[in-house]
Amino acid sequence: MSDQDKPLILQARGIRKSFKGVHALKTVSLNLYAGEVHGLNGENGAGKSTLIKILTGFHQPDAGELLLEGRPVSFSKPLDSQHSGISTVYQEVNLIPERTVAENILLGREPRRGGILDKRAAIAQVQEILDRYELNINPRSKVSELGLGMQQMVAIVRAVAFEAKVVILDEPTSALNGNEIEILFNVIRQLRSEGAAILFVSHRMSELYELCDRFTVLRDGEFVTESTPVDLPRAALVKAMLGGVDLDEGSLDRDAARDRMRRLAQEDIGLSVKNLTWSTRVRDVSFDVRKGEIVGLLGLLGSGRTETCKAIFGAVKADAGDVTVAGTPLTRPTPARALSAGVSYLSEDRRNEGIFPGLSVKENMTAAILKNISKFGFISRSAQNSIVREFSDELKVKASNAEQAISELSGGNQQKVLLGRWLSLGPKAVLLDDPTRGIDIGAKAEVHRVIRALAEKGIAVVVTSSETEELLALCDRLVVLSEGSVTGEVYPHEVGYDDVISLLSGQANTAKQTAGGTE
Amino acid sequence: MTTQTQTRGTGRKTTPGASHLLNWAGKYSVYLALVALFVFNLVATDGFASTFTLQNLLFSAAPIILIAVGQTLAIGTGGIDLSVGSVMALSSATVALYLGYGEVAAIIIAVAAAALIGVFNGSLIAFARINPLITGLGLLVAVRGLAQAVSGGSRSSIPPGGVFTWIGNASFLGIPVVALFALAAAGAVALLVRRTTFGRYALFAGSNREAAFLAGTPRNITLLAIYTLSAAFAGIAGVMVSARIGASDPSFIGINLELTAIAAVVIGGTPLVGGRISILGTVAAALFLQLIDTTFVMQDINFAFAQVLKAILIIAALYLQRTRKDAR
Repeated sequence: MSDQDKPLILQARGIRKSFKGVHALKTVSLNLYAGEVHGLNGENGAGKSTLIKILTGFHQPDAGELLLEGRPVSFSKPLDSQHSGISTVYQEVNLIPERTVAENILLGREPRRGGILDKRAAIAQVQEILDRYELNINPRSKVSELGLGMQQMVAIVRAVAFEAKVVILDEPTSALNGNEIEILFNVIRQLRSEGAAILFVSHRMSELYELCDRFTVLRDGEFVTESTPVDLPRAALVKAMLGGVDLDEGSLDRDAARDRMRRLAQEDIGLSVKNLTWSTRVRDVSFDVRKGEIVGLLGLLGSGRTETCKAIFGAVKADAGDVTVAGTPLTRPTPARALSAGVSYLSEDRRNEGIFPGLSVKENMTAAILKNISKFGFISRSAQNSIVREFSDELKVKASNAEQAISELSGGNQQKVLLGRWLSLGPKAVLLDDPTRGIDIGAKAEVHRVIRALAEKGIAVVVTSSETEELLALCDRLVVLSEGSVTGEVYPHEVGYDDVISLLSGQANTAKQTAGGTE
Repeated sequence: MTTQTQTRGTGRKTTPGASHLLNWAGKYSVYLALVALFVFNLVATDGFASTFTLQNLLFSAAPIILIAVGQTLAIGTGGIDLSVGSVMALSSATVALYLGYGEVAAIIIAVAAAALIGVFNGSLIAFARINPLITGLGLLVAVRGLAQAVSGGSRSSIPPGGVFTWIGNASFLGIPVVALFALAAAGAVALLVRRTTFGRYALFAGSNREAAFLAGTPRNITLLAIYTLSAAFAGIAGVMVSARIGASDPSFIGINLELTAIAAVVIGGTPLVGGRISILGTVAAALFLQLIDTTFVMQDINFAFAQVLKAILIIAALYLQRTRKDAR
């Protein structure tokens, strides 16, 4: 497919950007053509958002150039980019809720007659725009009266209705339901037919292939490839996003792995999840974890791995499904109930869902166990201190003392304190959601050691990671998730990397599906 | 995977030298200021160093200390209790209403009525998830109205010679009994905060709400208890003020005192964002604010300037907190 007939609207060449010496983008290029939907793909940290922020003028590149219709441009602030015809719709809807649809869409461009707002002309003008995109919205409605999906449509229409040459849609579908997504796609197709160049970011594979004419793939801040959906089918796309793997690390000892599997098969089930469903993000997920087994939830961003953990733990209320911990059902789970049942959950979001920032290492580590070490509400200081000593030693927490504020520690050490919080409870099962996210290599190795030690103690371990290699090296078994559903179950020592990739992309055909997704 | 996430995760570090000094100043400024102003008055204010003046100071400070301690808990959880001034008025009105059942019974009913407002406020905040600022504003107006409605809005004096006269005048070893009570209550709350699960849960709720939920702590019950306690303290404060002036006066008792209480909390070093509770600081700040009033009155300076000075102090305290918060 050669698209030489389509004019190049926006071109980014050799973009380089670093923050405080850390490279976020290393020579990235992007070509947006008129009348095309262009999917920008990459995992967490690939550099998608940095690139978008450069296109929209939030950041200025250290090197490289932007060409708009062939002319070099430089945006020193977001307004420059907007005035050049680049419109962006962010994940958060950015409208004035108590104003009408018409007022929002025309904000700053209201038709006037003799200096006075011409309401009738405004309504007519907006009605025409809405009709053009086949949107059944009353221009007189207040924005706050619309559903979230329709609000998003209004935001998009506002962004594109006037002289938009380039439209950037950063995960526009994440908050929409199926029907709304269809409406959105119609709007996008209409835009495309009008000749706009559309940059589209989504973590849902099916959407990418339904909508996009072209892909650009980034990985670790580098340009990987530009291709079309035909030339880059799902498995190839996922592979391009994840990169190659080095598999010599540990996982190659197949005999040892098989021995271990045979031993594990004798163990009781430590954690059982049956038909777990939450909204559209977790769909009928079932898997078992034996005592002492490390099971990895493998999935791309948005595959539902975090949501699955949260639904098991009761941090979100599942719509359906059963969780059983060492044979005992966990009914109507809440975090408090899950903890007493012996399930611990380490959140992937350390900053917002993990640490108590102003409080000490000691208070942070013992936060979940206070009930067990207090009498009539009075906390036993000696018990508190001995827990902190024991787990600081075991996890090798580097802090000057137990009274130091946790926010003064490095990310890795904060994570160890949190691990201490959950492990001190003596759990039967632990859910570790991306436990090595954002920590340095040394701390990573420590966390891996701790996870293996947990399994040795007979604890059922569920772990997720944004790094596939990490899970392949660490886990006894992988449950593969794609768009909220289990697409397969694999043993790392028995499959090739390509099998894993094809499962990740949602095509459950090539890999061995050992009891995968059965009910 | 990304070093970018890493730097974001670990947070910023402030430069050690300057922030150290500011930290220190932020931590101890209220105690230093209290001592300095006290010494200034001893030296420069005629008639300050008298039993009468000092007792008067403590009689006035006692109800402020009580409501400020309750307020510290509310603010420590990341909330606020704007209803305390009006709850004092309701307590005072209830006293007048039930005086016929005996003075002690009237006091108990008044404090119970106040606590009930706290249960209502706490339920709205904890279970209905309404912003404390909103519930507080609503109750600030509604409870004052309720107090005026049940009392007919007029001042009615309490017959002298009974329990109220004693509360309003009695001293033990030269210290007003109400002040001893307020300090004892503050001490008990400080112990609660330092040593009990309840205090920890309050701090967790203020420090990181989602993490508190994921750690399985009973956030809702904790909030309910805190707003109930705050209102009960306000009820007791209302009794104290009524006893001191020898009358029930729902139209004037407690007016703007929620602001004084908030000022005491902030100047005392408890950050408005929650997650830290300093009861001792609050007590010192409450005494300090009362001492400012006394100073201005005794130095015969226009009282309005005292309000301006307090406003400046609040802003200074918030500024010091801002620099301290940078460390997180």
